[in-house]
Amino acid sequence: MNIYVCVKQVPDTETKIKLTADSGGIETAGIKWILSPYDEFAIEEALRLKEKNAGSTVTVMSAGPARVVEALRTALAMGADHGVHVELPETADNNMAAKALAGALKKETKVDLVYTGKEAIDDGAAQVSQLIAEYYGMPYVTVVLNIEYGASSVKCKREIEGGAFEMIEAPFPVLIAAQKGLNEPRYASLPNIMKAKKKEIKALKMADVGVTDGDRKIRYKNYQLPPPKQAGKKIAGDPAAQVKELVRILHEEAKVV
Amino acid sequence: MTWQTFLFLAVAGAAFGYSGYRFKILYKMMVAQKGKGPKVDRIRERVLTTIANVLGQKAVLQKPAAGIMHATIFWGFIVITTGTLEQFVTTLYQPAHFEFIGELPYKILVFMQDIFTLAVLLAVGYACYRRYVLRPQGLGKSRDASIVLALTGSLMVSILLMNGFGILGHSPWFQSAMPVSSQVARFLSTFGFSSETNSAFGTLFKWVHMLIVLSFAVYIPSSKHLHIVAAGPNTFLKKLERAKGMKPIAFEDETITQYGVAKITDLSWKDTLDYYSCTECGRCQDLCPAWNTQKPLSPKLLILDLKENLYLNKEKTLAAKYDEVSHVIDENVTEDVIWACTSCRACEIACPVFIEHTDKIYDIRRNLVMMESRFPAEVQTVFKNMETNATPWAFSSSDRANWAEGLSVKTMAEDSQVDVLLWVGCAGSYDERNKKVLKAFVNLLKKAEIKFSILGKEEQCTGDPARRIGNEYLYQTLAKANIETLNRYQVKKVVTACPHCFNTIKNEYKDFGGNYEVFHHSQFIAKLLSEGKLKPSKGIDETVTFHDSCYLGRWNGVYDQPRAVLGSIPSARVVEMKNHHDQSMCCGAGGGRMWMEEKIGKRINITRTEQALETQAGIIASSCPFCMTMMNDGVKAKEMQEKVKVMDIAELMDQAT
Repeated sequence: MNIYVCVKQVPDTETKIKLTADSGGIETAGIKWILSPYDEFAIEEALRLKEKNAGSTVTVMSAGPARVVEALRTALAMGADHGVHVELPETADNNMAAKALAGALKKETKVDLVYTGKEAIDDGAAQVSQLIAEYYGMPYVTVVLNIEYGASSVKCKREIEGGAFEMIEAPFPVLIAAQKGLNEPRYASLPNIMKAKKKEIKALKMADVGVTDGDRKIRYKNYQLPPPKQAGKKIAGDPAAQVKELVRILHEEAKVV
Repeated sequence: MTWQTFLFLAVAGAAFGYSGYRFKILYKMMVAQKGKGPKVDRIRERVLTTIANVLGQKAVLQKPAAGIMHATIFWGFIVITTGTLEQFVTTLYQPAHFEFIGELPYKILVFMQDIFTLAVLLAVGYACYRRYVLRPQGLGKSRDASIVLALTGSLMVSILLMNGFGILGHSPWFQSAMPVSSQVARFLSTFGFSSETNSAFGTLFKWVHMLIVLSFAVYIPSSKHLHIVAAGPNTFLKKLERAKGMKPIAFEDETITQYGVAKITDLSWKDTLDYYSCTECGRCQDLCPAWNTQKPLSPKLLILDLKENLYLNKEKTLAAKYDEVSHVIDENVTEDVIWACTSCRACEIACPVFIEHTDKIYDIRRNLVMMESRFPAEVQTVFKNMETNATPWAFSSSDRANWAEGLSVKTMAEDSQVDVLLWVGCAGSYDERNKKVLKAFVNLLKKAEIKFSILGKEEQCTGDPARRIGNEYLYQTLAKANIETLNRYQVKKVVTACPHCFNTIKNEYKDFGGNYEVFHHSQFIAKLLSEGKLKPSKGIDETVTFHDSCYLGRWNGVYDQPRAVLGSIPSARVVEMKNHHDQSMCCGAGGGRMWMEEKIGKRINITRTEQALETQAGIIASSCPFCMTMMNDGVKAKEMQEKVKVMDIAELMDQAT
């Protein structure tokens, strides 16, 4: 089977985001970059499928500036076989990324399954998975918690609003966007980390995958940080007075009741 | 030449031949192990240690009653063996007896043999009383031990009967040197046998004695009594430093394709000697915090189970079919056993024959983690945090110096011309409770007018948790980064309030080019006190009990300084818990256990807190951030936080000055 995983490199969850001087973007200097955690579920699922089907290969793809190669190496260390890097500028939007990845997939001879995370944890847009499938022309299932594999189709259990689930069946080739809970991602073993250093990562330019600067649909004008969290208040007095004061604060200060 | 000579030649030849054959196999098994053994250096020190602990029975005598029992049997064995040897020699060739040493020396020798025969018999009696009546938990049931006691007891009885009948039969010229045997003879004389009969009985019991000795020779290689052969060399080969670092792996060596220990044969010949040396005394198990809280790990059983694994794979090992050797993790040595260790090293301190239990556990962990990615699930986050933010906890590396805001503490980048570098550690940087400890220590440094800086955001986790859990690769990444930073600032002296950082930087960074003079803050404060730079004047009217940190105490032998610090505080009354100094019990956080869930048995920190509460102290003093957390949790779990405070020695000293 020809299995593909599209991944994104994102700032580490503990990163304190700082804005650039003109507030037009995020200050990238000093950021620790990691593989987006939902993408780890996608990689793990791809690897498990490969392990069950001898002769399969897992190719991991990412679109972004040169730094995203590190994320590809992480995926290769987990056990992916090949890497593809499509170089995009730091300012590329979701549409460009999706078109680039779909373009890279189209260059492959055969695609059976594509995995992604259900969203990236930096912008939380949850756009790229569906867009890749649209540009490539294949069905997709997002927020997937469980997958049953058939000979040439999958049955996916996906989470929908209100704590309910739905089952969706789709034929190959299909894109599946992984939700937390699909599996427990592995920790790369040392021999695999060593091997990953030597694995080939194919480098593609925008032109190779038919993406131009005109594919940028979103221009970010201004970023603002959320207001700093205010210190908690402790309301003193007997219970009756406390309730009275709490209601007053909620009504007059927080203006929520 | 008599019939006795021929009979003896035949029996002894068979016994020693078989015994030799078994020993040869044991030796071959030892050298067939693939792991690298220790270097044998510093011979003089080793000889002295061996004399003290083998001939002097120093380590054995740490437990008085059982120690005296063992020492008596051991010394008796040496003295009585001279007699046995004489028996063997004279059986082969009558005139070869030892009387040539002179009349008086010979009489003294005979006297010693006679006295020790009784002494050993009494010691065996006590051993039986201890094993079958007192039944200490650590001993357990052992068929081996019963056989050995029966044989040893019979040996002594046969000697007394041989000598008693001998005295009656042919009144040897040295019989006055045998007070015990003379009493036996007096008793035997009541039977009224003739001299010939008595002589014949003497010969009979001489043969009984020799046959038991020979059966011992046959029995030893397959029993726990193998320790009489192995424990001496094991003592000679023990690690001489009390402060020991873990062995580094050379990752740059590309010929190494496997890390850690997957099979018993991946361990070294010295490990095999460890199994051979185990006497099953159970001292390690008695002190083990895991075993004492119902975890599946007993250091004693670990050694015995590894020995069993070794024997199970005997044929394959001897045939060098290493590929077919079974995995070291089996139904006895389970993963739960391997993860239960807190690396407190109580087992190694307790062991009278110097078995090194913990390195084996680390080596197995290394294989599980680095080769197979098998470890408790919660550890994965810890590794990832250490990889991205250089701390086991989920905090940003950019926030590392936030604790020092408003304290006007400089970083090395700002001022590297200092007396000492203050190594903060992750707990001091991020943990709310331990930040207060660091603040108190900073106060003390300022009061003593010490010029110091911190590394700030340039500091990274020392790597200790990764190393103890088995992720040597991650450890080395962090260690090398830290050493690069420390060397860039040409750091000479380091002080830290964390015993884990202390041990790692002091003992383990030197393998990677990091050589510094490292102080734990207890040592540093004690030094400031003795130099008169700190003058505790304000009293703390409270009973204080000190909880020893394993990495300070057992790993580095620092017991006195923290106590000296507490002792210098006016009106504080320092009391010891039942288990203290090297007999202390771990808080449960070492060996990476700080970041693992404790799902089996009673919680270790609760058990240790109960021991602290028994002292009725109002303050539990700690000297380690992990102990602080564990004891604090323990006090809260026992709902004693209103009455008992857990405080670091730096906080107490800050209050007192």
